Amino acid sequence: MRDRLARRRSRWWILALVAWAAWGADWRTPPPGEGPEAVPVRRLDGAPYVGVNDLARLLDATKFWRADVRKLVLRSGPHSIVLTADNPFAIVDNTTIWLGAPVRSLGGELQVPAALVDTLPADSTLARLIFDPRGDRVLVLPASGGVGSPRLTVAAQVTRLTFPADHPEAAVVAARARAHFRVRMGGLFLGVLPESLPSGSLLRSIRTIPAAGGSAFECAIDPAAVGYRMTQDPASRRVTLEWSRAEGDLDEFAPEGPAGARPMRVIVLDPGHGGADLGVTAGRAVEKKLALSLALLLRPELERRLHARVVLTRADDRTVSADARAEVANRSRADLVLSLHFDGYVDARARGATALCPPATLGAEQAGARNHGRFAADDAGPGRVAMLRWRDVAFRHAVESRALAEAVLSTIELKGQGPTRLRERLPYGLLGVNAPGILLECATLTAPSDRERVLQEEGLRQLAVSIAEGVAAYRRNE
Amino acid sequence: MRRLWIGGLLIAVLAWLVWMWAGQRGKAREEPIAADSLTVGVRAVRLYFGAASGDSLVSEPRELVEVSGLHERVAALVGELDRGPRGRGVALLPAGTSVLHVYLDDRGLMTLDLSGAFRQGFRGGSTGEAWALASLARTLGANLPEVKRLQIVCAGRPIASLGGHLPLDQPLDVSDWP
Repeated sequence: MRDRLARRRSRWWILALVAWAAWGADWRTPPPGEGPEAVPVRRLDGAPYVGVNDLARLLDATKFWRADVRKLVLRSGPHSIVLTADNPFAIVDNTTIWLGAPVRSLGGELQVPAALVDTLPADSTLARLIFDPRGDRVLVLPASGGVGSPRLTVAAQVTRLTFPADHPEAAVVAARARAHFRVRMGGLFLGVLPESLPSGSLLRSIRTIPAAGGSAFECAIDPAAVGYRMTQDPASRRVTLEWSRAEGDLDEFAPEGPAGARPMRVIVLDPGHGGADLGVTAGRAVEKKLALSLALLLRPELERRLHARVVLTRADDRTVSADARAEVANRSRADLVLSLHFDGYVDARARGATALCPPATLGAEQAGARNHGRFAADDAGPGRVAMLRWRDVAFRHAVESRALAEAVLSTIELKGQGPTRLRERLPYGLLGVNAPGILLECATLTAPSDRERVLQEEGLRQLAVSIAEGVAAYRRNE
Repeated sequence: MRRLWIGGLLIAVLAWLVWMWAGQRGKAREEPIAADSLTVGVRAVRLYFGAASGDSLVSEPRELVEVSGLHERVAALVGELDRGPRGRGVALLPAGTSVLHVYLDDRGLMTLDLSGAFRQGFRGGSTGEAWALASLARTLGANLPEVKRLQIVCAGRPIASLGGHLPLDQPLDVSDWP
């Protein structure tokens, strides 16, 4: 009876510890822009060692030193690790582990063979540690888990790249251009990328790129590929990327314009709404104010990075008609127009950023427009002249606008300010605008997490930096 | 052995009862419905509401009392959209939206005049706006196949946009809204 009661109590303790660890997991997750917590490994006689003070800090453990037997006990939650100086054995939760090399005392601190971290229990009450031999460091695996070495399979029509991942559902394609195909994964990359790729592979190259709270890869895809597919399999914990030469049920790559850097002399920033038009309001957040604040933060960022002239359609809180906004863009001969907005939705679960751009499938749009009588000519086929109404002049820049949307959304996604969505639909703010442009809903104010982020000056500044980096990538024609 | 016999007998009796019950149901179905001029017809319709994530529409079947005129049919559909979903979706139309007038030309262009609440009550961003228009276009297109395009006006006047994100100065192509 007593045993049963004790077991029940211990179960409650374990549940409480699991809940505590889940609550605490957030502050083990690295903040955007920073890597995971790590400590260096030193080599002693060629073997990797980690200092016990560093180890205790990573494990959030308390140390108990028994000088008489030269034993150090590390206690973290329900777990204990017993280390003895000059002894190659450790006791981890009553299990004896052989470390391959003795624990050594150096400068008043025990040095523990790095092999210990692979033997530690893998449960939620103890931080998961990983020994990274390439970086000579021991690091804490974030709550988002890890991503392992990818396996490449090349067949006649299809090239597949399969990543083992703890959270495959977190994978997202952040940029779909063949030259800069980017994938963001939810976990920390712990594997190795292939050094050489076999002939016939549609994957030309792959490299890691920085990403907030996870890992990201940039691939170059062969122009022979007609589409791609990403499959997330939580059951087998795998993410498979597939590029194919043959048509099928595939996602499309982003449309490609001419190669080389794009000219960027004038950028028009159009803060949405203003005056009597408040836009979305949620809690303390008012869209017209946030859009203006963001534009004022974004202007110096763009001027500094791109050395371009930045023109605002409004620099204070006033009503500006759509025609007046278009006139500002056209008169200043804009190379790019960014209409800045913040989103709102009837359900607080909807969050993230959305870009609206004119449809890049201009042919289909023209066909539709012909049916609607938008064109003066009856047929826009070869040898015929089709007239586009000035209202729809933004369609001329549809491919460039789509590339701009892809570039900006990609940086927003990689900086952890997503999720992001792209909608190919001519926005109201681009009617009569003769330049590449997008309407960017930078965050969703009705989502509490997004709202709190952009209401802080630092959050808004980070957003401005992301957008500026996206515009810079667009100018570089990435 | 005896238990086996009793068990088998019970199963046979149960099977016979089920067979008899199914036969009675079938007969009941075959009986012609008595002619009754007061009988109210019911029509199955499909309504489109927003997904909670804001990424798509979710459809919901519903049964409405059959009405004859175009105006009444459209008003009933918009009324149901305004009433909101019974399932997992979210209502997208601003509260109080109703139909004032409907006109359908011979080329499938429907001019839909909605009450002032449609514009005055809208508070969303482009996501809410896009899905509100998609909800209208998809619901009308699915239940009235003769509607090919939809021109939305509000309180008898054309509107440039619902919330300042998507133009409404031209008709919406019903098939263009996913």
